[in-house]
Amino acid sequence: MATRLTTDPAGRAPTSPPPGAPPPLARRLRDLALAFGKVGVFGFGGGPAFIPLIEREVLQRGWLTREGFLDAFAFGNALPGPITTKLAGFVGYRVAGWPGAAVALLALTLPTILAMVALAALFARAHDLPLLERFLAGLRPVVIALLVLVVLGFAPAALRGADRYERAWRWALALGAFALAALADVHPALLIVAGGFVGLVVARRT
Amino acid sequence: MIDLWELFVSFGRAGLFGFGGGPSMIPLIQVEVVDLRGWLTREAFLDAFAFGNALPGPIATKLAGYVGYQVAGVPGAAVGLLAITAPTILAMLALAGLYARYRERTALQRFLAGVRPVVVALLALVVWDFAPTALAVAPTAWGNAPLLAIAVAAVVVSLRRDPHPALLIVAGGLLGLLVAP
Repeated sequence: MATRLTTDPAGRAPTSPPPGAPPPLARRLRDLALAFGKVGVFGFGGGPAFIPLIEREVLQRGWLTREGFLDAFAFGNALPGPITTKLAGFVGYRVAGWPGAAVALLALTLPTILAMVALAALFARAHDLPLLERFLAGLRPVVIALLVLVVLGFAPAALRGADRYERAWRWALALGAFALAALADVHPALLIVAGGFVGLVVARRT
Repeated sequence: MIDLWELFVSFGRAGLFGFGGGPSMIPLIQVEVVDLRGWLTREAFLDAFAFGNALPGPIATKLAGYVGYQVAGVPGAAVGLLAITAPTILAMLALAGLYARYRERTALQRFLAGVRPVVVALLALVVWDFAPTALAVAPTAWGNAPLLAIAVAAVVVSLRRDPHPALLIVAGGLLGLLVAP
């Protein structure tokens, strides 16, 4: 990279980095703070709301592909602990190393921890606040709608295959996993690992 | 100092033994905070949980930060947050490192080809699990009609204009103030 910078025909220092080079660290950290700050501040209602928010931020900024997101989500589900913070740490580290992981984690968690500490004394019984209940009741249908779109958006990346056989087993696996989780309450981590082994056995070697 | 160590152990345990994300860890956190350490009474914990649920952001880290602060001020909040997140983030990075190293192996490719349909199924499962809470709040279909209308409107607007999800979430909340059952 350095050699390319010094071959400027006029011998001047280049004013902008060459196309394709990652933005400077400070910019990347700022982008991470903005992205995961938004996820934390607008992620109402626990787990579900984070998924469309993270999908938007991470895919639109080009930090992960759809396949990469699915894989990261699988890792996050297969490991213990909170999932959103794992995704934040993972994406942050990919984008800007250890400082990136720290910034993404803090941006995601700090604003609402501060809000909780500051406001808990005032609204010790928030579940008695009818206005807040109505606000949450109104945004939950939006979260469901966004989630449906997320599922539809990711389905092609997960279910497409080179031919009919490759598509058929992916569909069967998805439907089977859904049935086992929804009806028999099989744990997600188990299903993810089992799905991987099914893939090892049935996917054609290419 | 002993408080900080106990916070670290308690929230570290909740983080390492809670599979299935933040919400699945609430009972573990409750055992640590209420039963084992007596940092909060059961009522105070349930109030904190209800309040935390009303705020945005991940619930497990909110509780860790809040309880940590109650026990030992700002250092307590920092230790609680770190203990519940850092170990599993490190595990995630380790796994991602292996993934990056062996990505080209066809065996891993086939393994992931089987993982991805399961992940889509799990995302669909979130819809399935969450739909009753989101769309069936009132006892009658008529009472729930406004919620369904909000959901349909969100899909239409999303497909046509593709606004940021945060915008739609806030708009839904404001509509809820007017029409929620």
